[in-house]
Amino acid sequence: MTPSSPRLPEDLSVRTYICTICGWIYDEAKGDPDSGIAPGTRFEDIPDDWYCPLCGVTKADFELYSPSSPSAQQPILAPVITRSRTDSIVILGGGTAGWSVARKLRELDATVPITLVTACSGDIYTKPELSVALSRNLTHEKLRKETGLQAAARLNIRLMAETVAVGLDASRRSLRTTRGTLRYKSLVLAQGARPISLPSLPANMVWRINTLDAWLGLRAQIGSQSRRIVIVGAGLVGCELAEDAATAGHDVTLITQGPYPLESLLPSQAGMLLQQRLRQRGVTIITNTTVDIVKPSPAGKTIILSSGNKCDAEIVISTIGLETDLRLAHMADLQTKQGIIVDEATLRTSNPSIYALGDCISLNGQTCRYIAPIAAQADAIAHSLLGLPHAGYQHTSPPIRLKSRIMPLELRGTPDPRAEWDVVEATPFRLLMQQKQGGIITATLKA
Amino acid sequence: MTQHLSKSSPDMRPSLPHFAGKEGNDVLGRVNQIATDRLTELAVKIDLEGYYPLDILKDLADAGLFSPFSNRANPDLAQAIQGVASVSRVCGSTGFLVWCHMACALYLAAAPEAALHDTLLRQHLAAEQFGGTALSNPIKAQAGIEKIALHATPVSGGYTVSGTLPWVSHIAPGQYCGAVASLNAHETERVLFLLRFDKPDMLFKCPHFSGMEGTSTWGIRLENHFIPDRDVIAAPAGALLQHIRIPFLLLQCGMAVGIIQGAIDSMRAVEGPLGHVNQYLEDRPDSVQAEVNDLLERVLKLAQIPKNPGKDYFLNILDAREQGSELALRAAQSAMLHQGARGYLSSAAPQRRMREAQFVAIVTPAIKHLRSEMAQLAKEELPS
Repeated sequence: MTPSSPRLPEDLSVRTYICTICGWIYDEAKGDPDSGIAPGTRFEDIPDDWYCPLCGVTKADFELYSPSSPSAQQPILAPVITRSRTDSIVILGGGTAGWSVARKLRELDATVPITLVTACSGDIYTKPELSVALSRNLTHEKLRKETGLQAAARLNIRLMAETVAVGLDASRRSLRTTRGTLRYKSLVLAQGARPISLPSLPANMVWRINTLDAWLGLRAQIGSQSRRIVIVGAGLVGCELAEDAATAGHDVTLITQGPYPLESLLPSQAGMLLQQRLRQRGVTIITNTTVDIVKPSPAGKTIILSSGNKCDAEIVISTIGLETDLRLAHMADLQTKQGIIVDEATLRTSNPSIYALGDCISLNGQTCRYIAPIAAQADAIAHSLLGLPHAGYQHTSPPIRLKSRIMPLELRGTPDPRAEWDVVEATPFRLLMQQKQGGIITATLKA
Repeated sequence: MTQHLSKSSPDMRPSLPHFAGKEGNDVLGRVNQIATDRLTELAVKIDLEGYYPLDILKDLADAGLFSPFSNRANPDLAQAIQGVASVSRVCGSTGFLVWCHMACALYLAAAPEAALHDTLLRQHLAAEQFGGTALSNPIKAQAGIEKIALHATPVSGGYTVSGTLPWVSHIAPGQYCGAVASLNAHETERVLFLLRFDKPDMLFKCPHFSGMEGTSTWGIRLENHFIPDRDVIAAPAGALLQHIRIPFLLLQCGMAVGIIQGAIDSMRAVEGPLGHVNQYLEDRPDSVQAEVNDLLERVLKLAQIPKNPGKDYFLNILDAREQGSELALRAAQSAMLHQGARGYLSSAAPQRRMREAQFVAIVTPAIKHLRSEMAQLAKEELPS
């Protein structure tokens, strides 16, 4: 390039144009002297047979360019990874499980380096609140207790937000992410579980409420009007959301494949009572039915049921259940059974430098996707990671509660879906049932 | 410069064990032989002096390098990937040409016209005709990274296509490439066609690159250029482009694997004289070898493409391709450090290989594109 002094830098009308193919910038003040374009030449005055001096494309491939500061373009979501660094502890997942481990580690050790990698913002909220948030008029501000950045600063950890873990090489202890590869001494998998997706419930039409972002999206779509909402799946979350939406004034239909809601947990007497109370709250319940397909319709969506019937809705929500994303676990050859298999006392996976907790694990062949056990699991993992003595995690089935105003319900012990329930007390105000094995009470239901 | 410096780089004649091929697979053996015997000598001439090694490609074709693509419906990708790796191990530029040639074979194989999928494909696989791929721009356009550069207008008997594409390799007057143009006003539909450079003024020279000069890289300029229906491979081409991306990426992994293996060869070549100091370096040959073995194993497993490749499979492909780039950069850098000043000679493989590794890391899809695509793919889809 021939050196040329930019003409009138104070001339605000001087424009720049960028080659959309290679990124070369034509600055009107500098011109393109090598191609015979004098400094000060307006872009529109350049002859049409002029070519980009770098890649050779034509003038038509240029567009007006207005540089903005890098910080204005991209928020800084995660620090840059440098190659040489080995992080001693990397936590994968920014939900309750991931943050619980981070918090516990920091409580026990003020300096140990911790990196938390999460595909979301890492903002802290209580997930169970999402299924009661419509009727309580909870807003983003009320649901979010603390931003991920604030929590990271408070705990002095490195947060890599909006960063997806894409590969795991357990033999070299490296976690590949969309912001580079992290080396770890120990890895804690706190990935949670994701909603089961079925072709009959396509993700572009059917909501799945498993994150704050998803709930906020749903909330925005509902807006301030009363809506026709269909909820598919009557487990705990489905029942809670149905009651919540009905209480908030929406026209709600709940579809279940069982004979009554919460069929996999409750004996029929309790399930039928719940069904009756939900109906009294205004929820339409369709039982013994699955969804064949959801289709767009002028009114919103049409849901074709396995019975051949159909119903219309503005909003469809699937609450058919969760599954663990086992892609990374399989890549690292971890043993799995529905979830990632961990040792019951240490929460260690089949790889000694990888731990797991929360919704992604499988304990004694079963998943246990409740908030309650997470604190004790995090405590055991934190002690083990720091080499501190610990009696070991002891798993007990957590009490299961239906967050309901029409029928608050609590299930304790280890209910066996095949075993009989005895009615201990049944009044219009109270239902108490029990399961026994060999004279010992194994499960109690209070409603 | 040190006293150890010698003109005859110990890297010049590496012994080349085969990539793990099938029992009795002598194609890879012959490919390795040609790479060692002929390409080793030519690598510098190709890289810096712009020698376009069509004669080597012919020899490699005769050895069976392109034979996996004679099975149009179900090419033996595992063998093809190892073929790309064997060549890239010695010369990254030629490895890239092999990749371009294979990508073009995939397009020809998918063409409805027998003149393309039969006659021309046969000549192409025999390296009697040569052609590459101009799909970098449309792939980036698909991912929203840049605008599509070529635009097609349907006319009687075909399309007219206009636009400019810079930097397309393995093309030259008399050759051809697979290219993609937007088809409608919204630029969402695509047409994939064979672009023959059979008229003057279709190609323009590119600026001087820092290496890989022998890849015959040109800019393409089309003004209402007529594409006859018989050269149309797919319209709309969306489904085919998505389908072809899998072998496209896997074969690129072969380039990465080869360059990494070449870097390991360079490290081992100086183990005798320099091992006593090289022991202090990171990324020693044994550890890089273990990593590349694992990577190749993963890539060869992925080459058994499932019937209905889902999101996880595609994530695995993108991850392997990205890991290949990362490891190529790391291995090439380490080879340079292992060889020291002798690797810095203009004729030495390690400094050339650093540029080749950088090429693997920036050629579409570049590391940043792969990460961005994986982030998009992993995002939870919500109703709009």
